[in-house]
Amino acid sequence: MKGSLLELKNVSKSFPGVKALDGVSFDLKAGEVHALLGENGAGKSTLMKIISGIHKRDEGSYKIGGKEITDINPKIAQSLGIAIIHQELNMCQDLTVAENMFLGREETKFGLLAQNHLNDKAKAVLEQLKIDIDPEMVIRKLSVSKQQMVEIAKALSTNARILIMDEPTSALTEKECKELFRIINELKQNGCAIVYISHRLEELEEITDRVSIFRDGQYIITKPFNETNLDEIISYMVGREITEKFPKIASQKGKKILEVRNLNSGIVKDASFDLFAGEIIGFSGLMGAGRTELVKALFGAERIESGEVILYGERIKISSPKDAISHGIVLGPEDRKSEGLCTKLSIRENIGLANLDQISNKWGLIDKEKEKTLTEKAIKDLKIKTPSIEQDAKNLSGGNQQKVVVGKWMVRDAKVVIFDEPTRGIDVAAKVEIYNIMNQLKEQGVGVIFVSSEMPEVIGMSDRILVMCNGKITGDLKANQTTQDEILHYATQYSN
Amino acid sequence: MKKLLSLLLVVMLVMSVFAGCAESDATASDVTKEAKLVYLITMDKMDQHWVNVDKGASVMAAGLGLKYKWDAPDVKDNAKQIEAVNNAVADNADLILLAANDPQAISEAVKNAKAKGVKIIYVDSAANEPAIATLSTNNYQAGALAATTMLDELAGAGMTSGKIGIIGVNTATNSTMDRENGFRAVVEAAGYDILTTEYKDGDAAASQESAYGFIVGNEDLVGLYGTNEGSTVGVGNAIKASGKSIIGIGFDKSDAIQGLLNDGSLKAAMAQNPFTMGYLGVAQAYAALNDESTGPAVIDTGVAVLRSNK
Amino acid sequence: MENTQVPVRQKQLRVTSIRGMGQVISVTAALLVMTVIFGIINPSFFSSDNMTNLLRQVVPIMIIGMGQSFVLITGGIDLSIGSVAGMSCMISATLMTAAHMNPILACIITLIAACMVGLVNGLLVSKTKLPAFIATLGTMIIARGIAQLANGNLNTDGIPEAADGFKNLFYYGKTFGLYNPVWIGIILFAIFTIILSKTTTGRHTYAIGSNYEAAKLSGVNVVKAETKVYIFSAFLAGVVGLMLTAQSGMGTMNAGTSYELNAVAASVIGGVSTMGGQGLLIGTVIGSFIWGVLNNGLQFAGAPLALRNLVIGVVVIVSVLIDRVARSGNVDLKKWLKF
Repeated sequence: MKGSLLELKNVSKSFPGVKALDGVSFDLKAGEVHALLGENGAGKSTLMKIISGIHKRDEGSYKIGGKEITDINPKIAQSLGIAIIHQELNMCQDLTVAENMFLGREETKFGLLAQNHLNDKAKAVLEQLKIDIDPEMVIRKLSVSKQQMVEIAKALSTNARILIMDEPTSALTEKECKELFRIINELKQNGCAIVYISHRLEELEEITDRVSIFRDGQYIITKPFNETNLDEIISYMVGREITEKFPKIASQKGKKILEVRNLNSGIVKDASFDLFAGEIIGFSGLMGAGRTELVKALFGAERIESGEVILYGERIKISSPKDAISHGIVLGPEDRKSEGLCTKLSIRENIGLANLDQISNKWGLIDKEKEKTLTEKAIKDLKIKTPSIEQDAKNLSGGNQQKVVVGKWMVRDAKVVIFDEPTRGIDVAAKVEIYNIMNQLKEQGVGVIFVSSEMPEVIGMSDRILVMCNGKITGDLKANQTTQDEILHYATQYSN
Repeated sequence: MKKLLSLLLVVMLVMSVFAGCAESDATASDVTKEAKLVYLITMDKMDQHWVNVDKGASVMAAGLGLKYKWDAPDVKDNAKQIEAVNNAVADNADLILLAANDPQAISEAVKNAKAKGVKIIYVDSAANEPAIATLSTNNYQAGALAATTMLDELAGAGMTSGKIGIIGVNTATNSTMDRENGFRAVVEAAGYDILTTEYKDGDAAASQESAYGFIVGNEDLVGLYGTNEGSTVGVGNAIKASGKSIIGIGFDKSDAIQGLLNDGSLKAAMAQNPFTMGYLGVAQAYAALNDESTGPAVIDTGVAVLRSNK
Repeated sequence: MENTQVPVRQKQLRVTSIRGMGQVISVTAALLVMTVIFGIINPSFFSSDNMTNLLRQVVPIMIIGMGQSFVLITGGIDLSIGSVAGMSCMISATLMTAAHMNPILACIITLIAACMVGLVNGLLVSKTKLPAFIATLGTMIIARGIAQLANGNLNTDGIPEAADGFKNLFYYGKTFGLYNPVWIGIILFAIFTIILSKTTTGRHTYAIGSNYEAAKLSGVNVVKAETKVYIFSAFLAGVVGLMLTAQSGMGTMNAGTSYELNAVAASVIGGVSTMGGQGLLIGTVIGSFIWGVLNNGLQFAGAPLALRNLVIGVVVIVSVLIDRVARSGNVDLKKWLKF
């Protein structure tokens, strides 16, 4: 195509056992944000790796500025002006902003690093994007969103004209997303082109020019964003109509299961709320509001400094996850890969680990048959897609990993199930499956708590919404009577 | 918070140093400021042999009113012993009783000590640098004596031929090599076969394993010889474990060796006189420090043959 | 578009703003306190004789510690350096005795041999991805074997008078009142600190220790960077080996035993993190001083031998704890003590 910065045609790539890309095409024009969408496994990340030189394509043509690229690796890609901002930020935590920005491209004077000069250069780039960060700050001390901005600044400093952003907003709050979009617009104005991958379809509206959709390794369609809508996009992604994005079911509210009174733990101050059987409570709020800290305290993973937790009318003491589990309170943590699973172990071992009391005898010997049965039950109940129970957890897709995290607890007849950001980084269809699981629990009379930063999801699935700000619970709202604006209002009540 | 914790940990660090200093060596004697300082530097502090040298030395030092300190590296190591000597000199030692780990290695350090006016007397093992006196066992002759004892025992048991195994210490230590060579000369002349020596650095456990290896690997093994305390203990234990009537002869005295002599696992041990080395060494030191005659330049403190009565 | 004027930087003069200096300052304070305590217990500790001695005693572990620090900063460990020091001691001594070689030539050959071991370590770790612990464990045993083979499983004879200049340079001689090894240590410290903090090599060293993948994706030649540190480490071990030869005037097969762990101790005490990415060589220097002062001072204080190891062990553990505390940033003491 004329004027394309980058053009891929009929590109295929296979790995042992799977054809990741089957004759796909993709092109990028200067000054545009081109969203690449598709379910997990659609081939997006494989395509990105081919563009950035990490993988070599098997077939097809790859042109940059009209010139065919025959040989490519990350260093060559960088020189061609391609930069990739990974979902999992890849920076040297112990080095400074400037040191990271110029890593591998350091300038020297008489053999010694021209550090002052590099610091000044870094400052200039940051200022160009109107980002207020000290170039001599150590990365470890910056928040995730600031680190991401540094990555973007780094890309710019390599004179990148093609930026690939992989799930850039998954760890950002609303405010930080706005800041990111502002920077993206600056980049657009500079003539950069951005390939944008995200599962947060709602936000595409703000910045996307064109949208391309892949499904199962195949190219489906490309459309200007203003000529389509989200429902159509989703149907292209899954190949079928999804009518109900948030399959909420009515709540049969039962007895009061949990009563939390004046809980203090870390930044959580004086939290009080009730949880009834058969209802879903959503916790909303900005990053750092204390939601994760609160649910971790309930699970015994953080110390409860003062306050009461009352389960079925009886006061209980929770000082460790073991206590919480024995009382039937379970948690699917925020970071499933580092907190929710042992990624190097198999599905069977992960599920077994949380249920050793059920599958081992009094001498500590594990009954392998029982473990197998338990795992197979979890896989069946939650529809976990895997070739076998021995599959390593790290090889599963995000959605299936989340199901294993939940599956560990499902086989235990829990009374209170807490989900912390259960659908982060998961594609549309898998999200629905997680919502269905939450509904399953609701129907069984379990009390469900879920923490989420995606307001549509919170409104869509909860019966009640508790809003937190600065460690305190500032609002208790009925989901079907509130709006995003009202939630935001309570989420920013700092003076309370 | 972090700074507070760091400070706390630093204080703990310093306290642990205090703890280290709280106990001081029981052997440091407490005398008048005018008294001269005699340092004993041995090869290590583990061997009972050195402990006995120290005992003899400190008894005499106390009796003569000398200030006395004992130091040695934690393991036999040339560099560490050099440092120990240097430290002693810096600590204003007037005389050093030295058991040289290696005659060559320590020479330069000894030379420097002498240049600073520190007097030197060798105990147990001399170095190449000349000194006032040397008190030691004539190891070659002691080895020969061990050999005649071995032949004696073999004849008594009716074993006139067969193999004999030696558990040595290492090829670098002259004293033990002399014991081995003195032994070999006599035994080979009498017509027994000596197997290739195993060197186990005087580690009792390793010596035992090698000795047992000799026993198991040689049907016609009739005798085993250890050239220092650890080797000898290993030899005795191996013989005991095997249950065979092999003649075990060794070197040095210790509770372990006495026990093995008592139950017959060892037939004889050449006991050096480390106590005498220390005792007489300090006496000569006193004389040297008072510019008096120090007697003979070389004293052979000899060996006593301890025999089993089984 | 705003005026993108490059802003004028304000010079940071405060020493504490240098990364990693926090722990260095703490341990320096501890060192001073310790020195004073030992001096009080036995004033001979402060004698100029002992102080010059002490400096010389500290140098080997300081030099070998610096090499180990480079490796630790990349997140690895070099277990072979003690054996390389021993191997260097034996090779240099054998060449000077049995081969009657000129000392200068013997030193050059020895250092080349040491660097070869470093190269092997570096390639094993960076190219074949063998864990550093395993790779250097292997070379540790091999190097010790070479030390034993060098002179036919015997310690060497004394090095000849012709090598007296060598002995003076590497151990016995003094220049401007300080023993020569101290000057060698100072020069090596200057060189390697500049390498570590002011060159791309040093920057890449921190980078691969901090985040190997990120460094690789940023275009750093990770194989080269990782291999270099092992060569540095082996080279410095080789220098220490030469010092050992000069000190005892002969080659000892067991020379340098357990130096590698002492080097780790010195590095860790000085704030080098075993998890990689952090640490300053000045810290290692202070760490080696603490090591030296403890060994020397405890002897002067008359502390029993066994207790010395205990004290040093406690110091190492405490230093690692300080490192963990500093690493985790915000530390809630109560939360910390709960589990």
